[in-house]
Amino acid sequence: MAINTKDVENPGRTIIGESILVNGRLDGDEDLTVRGRVEGAINLTKTLTIEPSGIVKADVSVRNVIISGVVVGNVTASESVELTQEGRMVGDIRAPRVIIVDGASFRGRVDMGDLEASRTAPERPRSAPAPAAAPRPAVMAAPVRAVAPPPARPAAPQPVASAPAPAPAPRTFSAPPRPPTSMAPPIPPAAALAASNKRKVIVKKKK
Amino acid sequence: MANTVIGSSIMIDGEISGDEDLVIQGTVKGRISVKESLYVEGSGVVEADIETQNVEIAGQVTGNIVASDKVELKSDCRVIGDIKAPRVLIADGASFKGNVDMEVSRK
Repeated sequence: MAINTKDVENPGRTIIGESILVNGRLDGDEDLTVRGRVEGAINLTKTLTIEPSGIVKADVSVRNVIISGVVVGNVTASESVELTQEGRMVGDIRAPRVIIVDGASFRGRVDMGDLEASRTAPERPRSAPAPAAAPRPAVMAAPVRAVAPPPARPAAPQPVASAPAPAPAPRTFSAPPRPPTSMAPPIPPAAALAASNKRKVIVKKKK
Repeated sequence: MANTVIGSSIMIDGEISGDEDLVIQGTVKGRISVKESLYVEGSGVVEADIETQNVEIAGQVTGNIVASDKVELKSDCRVIGDIKAPRVLIADGASFKGNVDMEVSRK
């Protein structure tokens, strides 16, 4: 059988050829290229590449995935999901980075994780522990001013929160940290947060 | 050599079937059925029944093997299971336990 030279150079990867059908679970710690059919579940700690001839009817949990074939099933990636022009997917995507190229077909939901945390802040200005936003404090810090950045540990949501002025240091963004009620207009969520001075909402509280 | 390679850190629990050569360097449990050749390399661990045309085993196989052409056990392999094939080769150093049936006749 002729080998596709493209893959020969990297002997440490696994290739599922075109006429192979794997029915079951596939776990691994290396890159995987699928040109055939896989049904069941795939768990990798590296990159999954599904070539145009590949068909995957499985729930996928990997670090990166590049889909140029057909995927039916949910995909969870810890880094990125890319749907190329020939990619076709039905299922949900959960990944911090999602790339869908013009020409791809996709039906399903996309969940990029904690991006929502800063948005949901206004919805619960009363509750001390905010929804999951802790994991990315750096990202959050930009939009959510009033929210205490990581330095203000989750352990001190109430006390520290109520004293925005004295503790502006951690909040680098505290352009308008003083006026708890009058927050910077551009950031309504932050305003709402700051407004609830009584309860410092640490949106970053990690759940 | 082969187009399909199951790398050494991959574990498959299920069935594999296909029409091309298959090289196993990782772990496979379940069933394997390929119409061409199967190569179980030194790092390969297979706990499955195998049905193929040719098979060369240099790793570990636990399961029955049915081949329509040839079964070859290389040195340092460990095979536990029955072998049914018209041609069987067992190299010096191989470790094998099971039955051997060479009366396969495919008409």
